[in-house]
Order: sequence, then structure tokens, then C-alpha cells
Amino acid sequence: MEISLTYFLQLTVNGIVLGLLYGLIAVGLALIFGVMEIVNFAHGEIVMVGAFAMMFALPLFALGYWPAALVAMLVTGALGLLLYELLLARIERSEFERSILVTLGISMILLYGMQYLFTATPRLVDTNLGFEGFELGDIRITWIRCVAAFAALAAFVALGLILRFTQFGLAMRAIAQNRDAALMIGIKPRQVARNGVMVATALCGLAGAALAPIQSVQPAMGQALIFKAFALTVIGGLGHMGGALVVAIMLGLIESWSAAFTDAVWQEASVFIVMIVIVLVRPEGLFGGKRVRLG
Amino acid sequence: MTLLEIAGLSKAYRGIHAVRNTSFRVEQGTITGLIGPNGSGKTTTIDCITGFQQADAGRIRLEDRDISDLPPQRIARAGLLRTFQTVRIYDDFDLMQNLLAVTAPFADVTGWDMFLRRRRFREAHRQAARRAQEAIDLVGLTRLIDAPAAILSYGQKKLLALAATMMANPKLVILDEPVAGVDPTRVNDIAELLRRINRSGTTFLIVEHNVEFITNLCDHVLVLEQGRLLAEGAPKTIRTDARVLDAYLGRERQAERDSAGLQ
Amino acid sequence: MRVAGLTALALAALAILPLFVHSNYVLSIAISGFIFVVCAAALNLIYGFAGLLSFAQLGFWGIGGYAAAIAVVDGKLGFAASVMFAALLAAVIALVTGFPILRTNRHAFVIVTLTFALLCALVARDWISVTRGPLGIPSLPVPTFFGFAFASPTRFYYLAFAFAVLALGILYALVTSRIGLLLKAIKQNEALARSQGISPMPYKLFAFVLGAALTGMAGGIYVFHLRIVDPTFLDFYYMQTFLIFVVLGGAGSFWGVVIAGALMVALPEALRFTNDLRMVIYGFVLVVAMLVMPRGIAGVFHDRRLNALRAKLA
Repeated sequence: MEISLTYFLQLTVNGIVLGLLYGLIAVGLALIFGVMEIVNFAHGEIVMVGAFAMMFALPLFALGYWPAALVAMLVTGALGLLLYELLLARIERSEFERSILVTLGISMILLYGMQYLFTATPRLVDTNLGFEGFELGDIRITWIRCVAAFAALAAFVALGLILRFTQFGLAMRAIAQNRDAALMIGIKPRQVARNGVMVATALCGLAGAALAPIQSVQPAMGQALIFKAFALTVIGGLGHMGGALVVAIMLGLIESWSAAFTDAVWQEASVFIVMIVIVLVRPEGLFGGKRVRLG
Repeated sequence: MTLLEIAGLSKAYRGIHAVRNTSFRVEQGTITGLIGPNGSGKTTTIDCITGFQQADAGRIRLEDRDISDLPPQRIARAGLLRTFQTVRIYDDFDLMQNLLAVTAPFADVTGWDMFLRRRRFREAHRQAARRAQEAIDLVGLTRLIDAPAAILSYGQKKLLALAATMMANPKLVILDEPVAGVDPTRVNDIAELLRRINRSGTTFLIVEHNVEFITNLCDHVLVLEQGRLLAEGAPKTIRTDARVLDAYLGRERQAERDSAGLQ
Repeated sequence: MRVAGLTALALAALAILPLFVHSNYVLSIAISGFIFVVCAAALNLIYGFAGLLSFAQLGFWGIGGYAAAIAVVDGKLGFAASVMFAALLAAVIALVTGFPILRTNRHAFVIVTLTFALLCALVARDWISVTRGPLGIPSLPVPTFFGFAFASPTRFYYLAFAFAVLALGILYALVTSRIGLLLKAIKQNEALARSQGISPMPYKLFAFVLGAALTGMAGGIYVFHLRIVDPTFLDFYYMQTFLIFVVLGGAGSFWGVVIAGALMVALPEALRFTNDLRMVIYGFVLVVAMLVMPRGIAGVFHDRRLNALRAKLA
């Protein structure tokens, strides 16, 4: 098959954008696992709530992208806070199965609740960026993709700075790396966990907001994403945010390329097969060193 | 006759040598004590013997069988039972079920026998129940035999764990700190109980912090320090051994001084 | 004795139900109920007794459904042979995958079994030459057994009823046997169990394989009720339903799960909720149960008994 360079680059750009958005979701999942050792089954539904928030907020700001995205982040961040205070804070770290069942229940409430309220129909979302784009050589990039990539990159830079330089970030990293030592030097695990959950769910909101105009918005959109995000965080090393991001971008590229060039049929399955093999061979994931205990 | 023989046992964690080239024997019919200051490698040693840790080097023999590379369940079936430092029992089971879980009385029973409740299973079960009754009587928990184990006190749980080892008709039982955390007034009762079980043919290897308990009870005492065998002998000689006093008691005193200083 | 009496009573009531109820809707609910309770009881064997939170059940359910449909349509096998084939295939796949999966730790076990279920769904959708892809395999034949066609809902009701009684009977005999005791011992304290001579792996693998076989068989029968199998047969909804029965009833309690299953099938239907609203309620039940009574209905009774005993002894 003849592949033109332009087409290839076009797909690469699209893949990176998609990968960055997967990254937002996967990094949040890794963050929650890092601070609480909880695998959050409701993560995808929080992305979905973010997308709906974006959809409903846009008309309020005359289709303004940024204010609506901010509203989405605030909504999911608040939802994260609520879920943490009401439910997650009551779960002991050793009760892994219990945490899974609780978050699974939350995901059911959100998914089927939204389906009950808004039906399962996909909705298209329009922003003030429309479906316009710009040309970069022969490559055409739509503004909504460009902005999505920018927003994701900004979020990663901000998260990186927070983790590296703020007191709260240091505490979060300390908990994720060596819990016992962190407790000994007086770090409050509850506060760190709450902040971690809020940051992670706000990232979900951003991902949902960015995805809303690119894909369509529907209650089941979270389910399709969450399982990919699980695979990403596992391949990246549970609780390892950098690893999750790298793998997320790789996945975005693979999906984008393979959809065009190969028989796309087995591409999705292959991601999960890779993940199973990695877990069986190296339970701590590709990037996970000894930094996070797995039990 | 030697029942258990440890030769050249070594185990390191991330470069820290917990046990270094240690050799000792446990003679048939004895109560042998294993003492040593904190971090001297006692628990690592018995974890290696019972298969819960894989030793880096060394051989372990039970009677004339090499058990060095067997998993814990095979070692148990070979007749070496153990208890754990932080007591382990089945909280959701009653006392009877706790003892019936031990596989030894059911060695010849297949899965089908169990599922179909065949005669071979019923025979084994009857005998196991009788033996469990005796073991529970022996440790003095008869009154609670049908109670869930969760309601037992810490000391009672330790007795239950001991009774469970009796189910296997073991050649050797390793007890990891049998009187730690137990009401001091009951310590002598436990010593008496262990002597009684020992007289009926069970050999014991007992790890303890309580030096007095060990020197009163044991025929032979092993002293570990920093992963090495520092001294061994009869309790009397151990109690007066200069190296032991220096290493063991000296350190304890040092520790006491340290903690007093902190307060 | 009281349990035996109540069971006999319940069985008798279920046996004569179609004589009084002629609504196909109600019978169809009851058929789903029978099948789902078997799946929940099989999950209970794995999660409640062996302590392994396995999402692979959904995969085995799908494997069973597809295997039976393909066997009957492409393989020209009879109904009974197709269902047996479904059970066998699920069991073989469980046996082959179970060994490496069971060697991982509990975090990894959950993730891997979940991924296994997803893979099964993707295979159903993407392996078009075998599964017909998204369209599925429609118009399955009416199941016939020794010349007797289970054509009417009433007849299918008795088929599902007989299957449930048989499967639950096997599971009951198993969990009340010494094997059930040993599974619970391994779940409670694996190190202790090993120190007493119990090998965990064969028991866990056995529970995993038997659970898979029964779930596969249930899936195989259920497709004949739906008369079609397509990728929605692997919807996460089924897994959530099985899980909720187990969690509400109390993992590790045979009767708790059966009773919770019966309640959870009957109540939302009686209240005529839509499917979405029912799943929202299931979600609430899951969250609340996990917070208030993490060991389910059975756990509440257990704790009461413990407290009463403690009070008596104190």
C-alpha cells in the first residue's frame, strides 16, 4: 500500500492528541492508585460527567471553550471531593476488593443514572472553535484538537510542577513512594489522598471536556475509555504516572496508525493482550520499579 | 538421634545478611530453644526451615529427608509443623473447624472422597474429630469448642494454634514466640503444657524472647547473634556463658538505656 | 432441618409457579433469575470461598453463550451437546489461563481477569469469521432434548429451573464438603493453610475451573432463551448483576447469595423499574452494602451471633 508522508504525519498528529487525552485519564488513575492503592472503576464515568458538564456549560459562555472546560474541571473535581469524603475515605488500604466494589457501584450509578436522565443517544458538541483548523505544511489540524493537546500539555506541566515543587506535591510523591516513611515524617495521608483524588478527577474533567467536541458525548463513553486506561496504567506500572503517560501516547499513535494502515480489527485486542502478558511476566509493569508496592 | 539438621544456612535481603552460614541440630525428643536479640535472624531462620523463605544457601534435613527446596505445605506434610509470631488462626471458623482444616488426618482422602462423603472420608473425619477433641481438651479450651475462633483472647488463640499442630501427629513443631503477649500468670501453664506434649513424643524448637521461659523449659539452647550461631549448650551453661551475656544481655541493657534516655 | 424444609417449600412453590402465572413476561424474568443465580453462586465459589475477585466470569459467560450458539448452528449439534460443549470449552480455557493468572497477586488478579473478560468481548466483536461480528448469531433453534421441544416459555421455565436446581445442588454439596472448608481456610489465611499442609493452587484452580464451567453452561442455556447471541452478551451489565447478588448476600455464604439473587431479581421487576433505573439501584445497593455491611446479609447475622457470644462469655 502506498503511504504518503503527509497522510502519515496527519495520523501521527492525531495520534499524539488522542494519546495526550488518554494520558490525562491514565495519569489520574495512576495518581489515585499511588496515594490510596485504589483502582478507581468510576474513573471513566467521571470523564463522561466532565464531557456532559462541558456540553451543558458551553451555551452558558456563548460556546466559549476555555470557561466551559474550566467548569467541567470544577464539576468533576467537586465530584471527586464528594466521593472521597463520602465513600473512599472510609476504605482501608488493605481492603482492595472492597475498594473495587465501591468504585464499581459508583460507576454504575453514574453510568445508568446519566442514561436514565439523558438516554444513551450520542450528542455532538459544538464550540466557538467550530470545526475550523489551520494548515501546517500539508497537514491540517483542527483547532479543537490543537487546543485539546495544548490543554493536556498544560495540565501535565502544571501537575509536574505541583508534584515537584509544592508541599502538597512532595507529600503526594512521598506517600506513593514510601508510605511508612511518609507517615513517620508527619505527612497526613487523608489530606494527601483527598487532594490526589481531586486532582485526578479534575484531570478527568479536562479529558472529558477536550474529548466532547472531538468525539460525541454519551453516557457509555467512559466505559470504553476506562478499560484502555486500566491497561495503560498497568503497562506503565501501577501508580507510576510518567510511565502511564508514555504508554498513553504510544497507544494513541498505534490506534491512529493502525486504523488507517492495517486491518484494524485486532488492534484493540492486541493492547489488552500486551497488558495481560506484561502483568503475568512482570506484575509491577514496564516502568514500575520498586517504587510502589503491589501487595 | 538428630531430627532436624541445618547446615550452612544463609539468607540475605537486599545485601543485609539476616542469617549467615548457620548450622545446628535439633535432637529427637528434646525441647530446643532458639534465642537471640532482636534482629538476630531467628524468624528468618525458621521461615527458611519451614519453606516460607527460600534460603540463599545451605541444606535442611528432617530425619533423612532433604526438605531444603520444598514448599511450606510439603514440609508440613513431611511432619514439621509451625506456629507464627503474630498468631494465625481461622477467625471465621469455630475451634473444631480450625483443627479439622489440618490436612494430616486426611492424607489418603481424595477430592472425590470429600465431595461424595465416601466412607474413606467419613472414617478419616471421625478420627480427626476425635483427635481434635483431645487436642482441645489438652489445651483447655473444651468449653469453647463450638465457638467462633474470633471471640478467643490472644492467649487462647495461641493455644488453639498449638492444638492445631497436634492434629498432624508431628515429628517436630516449631513455635515462634509462644508466650509473647500472653498473660504472665499463664506462662508457667504453657511451659507445663509443652512439657506434657513433649513427654508424649513431640520434639519442639521454640523461638522466644523470654529467656527465663526458655532456660527453664529447654533441654538445649541455641543462641543466635547477627545471623550467626553464637553459642549452644545446656541452659545452665548458656546462662553463664560470657559471650552470651555480653552480646545478648549487654545489648538488652543498652536498649533499655536507650529507651530510658528517650523518655 | 429448618433449611431443608424451607428449601423444599421454595422448590415446590417454584415448581408450581407456571400453573398460576401465565404472563410470559414474568416467566421470562424467572428464567433469567434462575440462570443469573447460578452464575452468582459460581462467582461466590470463586470470590466468596476461594477469595478471588474474578471478573473472568463474564468472559466464561460469553464463551459459553457463543460456544453453544456456534455448536448448534455451525456444528449441527443438538441442544444438550451444545450446552455441554459450552461448559467444556469454558472449563478448558479456565484451566489453561487459570494457572498463570492464579500465580499473580490479588491486585494483578483483578486486573488480568477483567482484561480477560474484555478480550472475550473484543473477540466476539472482531473475529467475524467465527462469531459473525457485531450482528451476532440470530434465530437459534428451539432447544430440544430427547425429542421434547422447550418451545413455550413455560417449558423453558422448567428447563432453567431444572438446570438451576442441579447446578446449585452441586455447588451446595461442594461448599459444604471439606473442599469448601479448605477453600475458606485458604481465603482466610493462606500462609496458615500452607503451614498446615494445604496446597492452595489445586483448590483455587479447581474453584476457578468449576465456576467457569457452570457459568459457561449457564451462558449456553441463556442464549437459547434469548434466541440470539451477539457482542452485547458480553456487556458488563451481566457481571455487575452477578456481583451484586454475591455482595448483597454475603460473599462466602451459599444461602445468602441465593436469597439475595431471588430478591434482586424479583423486587425491581415488581416495582416495574426501567433497566437503567434498576442498574442505578444495583449501584446504590453495591455502594451501601460495601460501606454498611461489607460481608453482606449473611455477615450481619454472623456479627450478631459473635456479639451475642462475646456478651455471654464476658
